[in-house]
Amino acid sequence: MHATIQKPIEEIMGYLKPGEKVFVFGCSNCAAKSHSGGEPEVRRMVERLRKRGVNVVGWACPPNGGSLCKLSATKQLVEEHKEEVEQADSFLVLACGQGFHTVMDATDGGLVHPGCDTVFGGETVKDDLIIEYCSLCGECIAEYTGGLCPLTLCAKGLLNGPCGGAKDGKCEADPNRDCGWILIYERLKALGRLDNLRAYQKPKNNARWSRMRSLEVSPTRATFRCLAGEFTVSQED
Amino acid sequence: MSRLKEVLEAGVFAVTGEIGPPKGVNVEAALREAEEMAPHVVAVNVTDLQSAVMRVSSLAVCKLLLERGIEPVLQLTCRDRNRLALQAELLGAAVFGIENALLLTGDHMVLGDHPEARPVFDLDSVQLLKAATELKAGRDLSGHELDGTPDLFIGAVATPEFEPLELHLIKMRKKVEAGAQFFQTQAVYDADRFKQFADAVSGWGVPILAGIVLLKSAGMARYMNQNVAGVRVPQELIDEMAATPKDKRREKSAEIALRIVEQIRPYCAGVHIMPLGWADVAAEVAQQINEKTRKEVESRIQKLQNELEDLKARIPAHSVPPDMLLQQEELENQIKHLRALMPQ
Repeated sequence: MHATIQKPIEEIMGYLKPGEKVFVFGCSNCAAKSHSGGEPEVRRMVERLRKRGVNVVGWACPPNGGSLCKLSATKQLVEEHKEEVEQADSFLVLACGQGFHTVMDATDGGLVHPGCDTVFGGETVKDDLIIEYCSLCGECIAEYTGGLCPLTLCAKGLLNGPCGGAKDGKCEADPNRDCGWILIYERLKALGRLDNLRAYQKPKNNARWSRMRSLEVSPTRATFRCLAGEFTVSQED
Repeated sequence: MSRLKEVLEAGVFAVTGEIGPPKGVNVEAALREAEEMAPHVVAVNVTDLQSAVMRVSSLAVCKLLLERGIEPVLQLTCRDRNRLALQAELLGAAVFGIENALLLTGDHMVLGDHPEARPVFDLDSVQLLKAATELKAGRDLSGHELDGTPDLFIGAVATPEFEPLELHLIKMRKKVEAGAQFFQTQAVYDADRFKQFADAVSGWGVPILAGIVLLKSAGMARYMNQNVAGVRVPQELIDEMAATPKDKRREKSAEIALRIVEQIRPYCAGVHIMPLGWADVAAEVAQQINEKTRKEVESRIQKLQNELEDLKARIPAHSVPPDMLLQQEELENQIKHLRALMPQ
């Protein structure tokens, strides 16, 4: 999921021109889990904006835990709120950067304001805690590291083992956090697969991590496009 | 050819020093420190934006050392440069005539004075060593042929106090496989721990320069224990520094450094002294170490000379067998070589 955090209200207020009519979008999937743009947060945002004199013409969240970043569904949502949407000068989006762009597409290039900062892709560990375990690098090596991604767990993203900076098992960049490489070592040791660490890991192909990337999908095959090239995978056999 | 390499290959106990470039263009003080140590050390490391603080580049200061007849060791970290810039820096060093490079990960920028900078770490230290090894073989990291091959003696760093040591040793082993020709360690204060570490890597055939950070005060020792990863100053040494009056600290610092060197000497190929501004103390320590080294080298030369005399006595006056002449020449060369590598 995409973890998001709401921008401070002062920053959002700074985006809005006097008299600007605003429609607020939320997302019932990731932003709801992030408590930054689910229905309760959207309702509260509408109140907070109105309290500050903003003309909010309406709001909407996808139904049934749906994601704002699915264009067909968001188009339907726009259709359902056609009247208010047409009145609006702009759209405040309480969702990730993907959802924000989806609203732009669904409103034929409407003026959108980001209501959140998209901070990372993470695991919802508990209702009130999301942690980043994957950096979306496009080239997973977690097979060799016991399922723990060194690119993400290590502050330096080192692939061949720890730097010398760990102190009492904690990361040099953040003493509140465990050294990712020590976690990997302990896990592989427990799994009896420490030998995995002895193999040289070649440098990342950063072209697979290039922006912007696209993925063409079907139930049987997928094509990934990035600066490293075009990669088609069959899922049939 | 790198004198550091020659000294280590000849098994002569090596002493190296270190300077940190300034923040700003006034490099004279750093160069004076290098000059103060230079007569007593084989080479001087120049740090690469140590502690992630922006300063003059290592490459520039290495070049200035070369101009003053001092052999530099270019430190190069993975923090600030991607794989193009790292390889370019190594080629640049070689073009200037810099023959030693110490390749390391680098402190994270959040510890330095530009914490908002983008951390690069495009390569890690193992991959950087591999890149340097490829350059030496005439290829870049993408396999493209070079027009002229750099001749570099490449080193890596190690942390004997790292916990868990097994994990650290796995990475060190990868560094050796990637082409590391010597190791330079984080500060060593505990000889027993160092011995344990040295034993674990002794079969690898890669010389280890043990790190010696001069203790300046008890406060500095405590600070390092709390804040510097991989450094552990035993309480006895802290107490010893604490009991030393301020005007006697330099002598005490030298005394402690020499004591540690004496204890670890059998387990390492040399020491790397990090003076942190106390170049005079570093020079003094190096001088004392060299005194013993000279005796060691003298005794090796004496042995060779005895062998040579022996051989000469056995050489017949007529129809000298060619292998005897070759042997004589070999012994003479070895003696000459050792003399040339004798520390000042």
